[in-house]
Amino acid sequence: MDFRLNPEQQLLRDGLARFLAERYHLAASRSAARTGAGWQPPIWHALADELGVLGATLPEWAGGTGGGPVELMVISEELGRALVIEPFVETVAVAGGLLARAGGPEATAVLERICAGSAVVAVAVDDDGEPAHAVRDGQRWALHGTKAVVTAAPLATHLLITARASDGLGLFLTGFDAAAPPPGARVHAYRTIDDRRAADLVLDGLSLPPAALIDADAEASVRQALDEGAAAVCAEAVGAMRRVLTDTVDYCRQRQQFGQPISNFQVLAHRMVDMYCELEQAVAAVFLAMLHLAADPPTRARAVSAAKVTVGRAARFVGQNAVQLHGGMGMTEELAVGHYFKRLTAVQYEFGSSDFHRARYDRLTRGNSGEGL
Amino acid sequence: MGVKGMDLNWSEKDLRFRDEVRVFLEEKLIDDLRQAGRLMTSVYADHQASMTWQAILHERGWAAPEWPVEYGGCDWTLTQHYIFGRECALAGAPALSPMGIKMVAHAIIAFGTPEQREYFLPRILTGEVFFCQGYSEPEAGSDLAALSMAAVDDGDHLVCTGSKIWTTHAAEANWIFALVRTARGGRKQQGITFLLIDMTSPGIEIRPLVMTSGEQIQTQIFFDAVRVPKAQVIGDIDHGWTVAKYLLEFERGGGAAAPALQVMAESIAAESARRPGPAGGVLRDDPAFAAKLADVRIRTEVLEILEYRVLATVEAGGNPGAASSMLKILSTELSQAITELAMEAAGSRGRVYQPHATRPGGPIADYLPPPDGYLSGDPWQAVAPLRYLNDRAGSIYAGSNEIQRNILAKATLGL
Repeated sequence: MDFRLNPEQQLLRDGLARFLAERYHLAASRSAARTGAGWQPPIWHALADELGVLGATLPEWAGGTGGGPVELMVISEELGRALVIEPFVETVAVAGGLLARAGGPEATAVLERICAGSAVVAVAVDDDGEPAHAVRDGQRWALHGTKAVVTAAPLATHLLITARASDGLGLFLTGFDAAAPPPGARVHAYRTIDDRRAADLVLDGLSLPPAALIDADAEASVRQALDEGAAAVCAEAVGAMRRVLTDTVDYCRQRQQFGQPISNFQVLAHRMVDMYCELEQAVAAVFLAMLHLAADPPTRARAVSAAKVTVGRAARFVGQNAVQLHGGMGMTEELAVGHYFKRLTAVQYEFGSSDFHRARYDRLTRGNSGEGL
Repeated sequence: MGVKGMDLNWSEKDLRFRDEVRVFLEEKLIDDLRQAGRLMTSVYADHQASMTWQAILHERGWAAPEWPVEYGGCDWTLTQHYIFGRECALAGAPALSPMGIKMVAHAIIAFGTPEQREYFLPRILTGEVFFCQGYSEPEAGSDLAALSMAAVDDGDHLVCTGSKIWTTHAAEANWIFALVRTARGGRKQQGITFLLIDMTSPGIEIRPLVMTSGEQIQTQIFFDAVRVPKAQVIGDIDHGWTVAKYLLEFERGGGAAAPALQVMAESIAAESARRPGPAGGVLRDDPAFAAKLADVRIRTEVLEILEYRVLATVEAGGNPGAASSMLKILSTELSQAITELAMEAAGSRGRVYQPHATRPGGPIADYLPPPDGYLSGDPWQAVAPLRYLNDRAGSIYAGSNEIQRNILAKATLGL
């Protein structure tokens, strides 16, 4: 039983935290999100070159340093604390795992580029309505279907697309440029409430070469990737909640009403204690998820769902009450808290809603020996 | 991705210890005791069952594992203490009464004289001395230091007059440890003395308080010029607050709440699979019920990780600090959610008052069991309402959850 980071993990955390404190500014990232490119490529390159963060959890054979769930947790939490909008979770946590498990020359080449900071990969998994499907077109594949809210697609150099083929769920890899989509693909790009870029993809006979199918039976791998993504955004939310709670406590100690700091009022102090308790439960839930991420699929899924439900509840409570305790200013874009609130809201609906995970947890606990011990 | 650094696993040594405890429980936890554990209606087990279990544990040297070895404790790591508590809870062992072994004994060990230790500690272990606690007074609850029961100096004795309330198992106890006022003026925390009083002393009257569950575990005690030898003071006269604060840490102290809550949640899951649901089928399959069940199970899993984290912190030489306040809030509020869910699972049977099918921690007032022993429904359905009613105490006792929030606001958030 050990919850301590080893020295390398501490270095990773401290280096990333220092980098983000010095170089990642909320105003600059919001401006990039709204009127700029949607992200800050120099930051992305620095994460790769200066910090080795992009390869930290990827396998050594693909240019990474072979870290695991604890590294994923440490990185995601720091990125969340600084409200980083760059697509680490999509590219590294989700796509990275899918590519590593698929293997093969195409996937390996993209993994190497991820580690080097020269590839951004968006993962088109969520079907809008009918499941996407792939049909043979001579030697090639033709993909049909609509993928909703593909985060980071507008920034991506590559797409991973799931589509049902005759032998199972296929995972396709293709180069991509949202500004010049290939024939058979329409891209409707937009901004999310939490200042990410995303898109709906309408595939109407997108033609891909045989080698694009990097995993012909990707069902299990996709489930694992979505669990890893869920665990990563849970850690990200913990980082965001830490910042939000600190800001809220500081604000309430400064803000004077009725001739005293409003933090003197017990009803507000207790609210902040409840925020703290939710945060601590979220922290524990992230440990639960991360330390079971390498377990057998049902154990992993159960732990991740428990975490996602817990973090979803915490993110809602901490986010909403941070706004409430900041008063009207909490609703403006002038303070950090408003931006964090939007991210903490979005997190509740990413990688499966709380209801999805509660239902999955319920299903997975039915298999217990007679529901007993 | 393999996990490096952190892990959630017990060591080989801890697993061997766990197996040793399991073997012991398998052999010694006889059916009647298991049943007493399963049919508990509050945190207090049937008194006789609890004392029987204490005697069995004592035989093995495990009645008071937290004590120093020289007084009969075990040379265990904190992790082993946790495992022991966890296994006992999972096996459904009846709870031991905490007042002697888990509370006053620690004060006697830390602040008592050699004579006091020699007299009380072995007798607490055997059950010959059974303590109750005299802290709260009608006018001193959350504001404990406002207590006013007078102890007037009379040579070799203190003469005690006043009243204590919320004293659990006073009728079964032959000793009470009490906070009394030996001096006034100055800060209210000053002038308090920690005193052991023989319950057979003249001038003591016990009035049972009938709780909403019908149980008479709680009492109010009246002291009318009760003479107590000064040799029964623990620590120094007027400095009892130091002793009390030390003990409060033990009363709150993290411990292993999650395993017992897990047992309760699992039992609801199992029973709900045999109950009709609101829209046909079984209750277990009703989406609204299943969602609530999943929520309490998830909270229990997360609480267990929090308990492990505190354990790991303390094991590594750290201080749990205000974490015990957080665990107290989370575990009692979760317990209340679980007892509430048990009521929902019990359905209309949850309204039926049938304590004869349970093993309450004390006598039941004004109740005549049916002569034929008839039970409407199953025993767990008889337990559900009593547990629900008694469990309101969780957020009130040992420093109400509002007091715990005050502590956390100050200690953790710096407010």
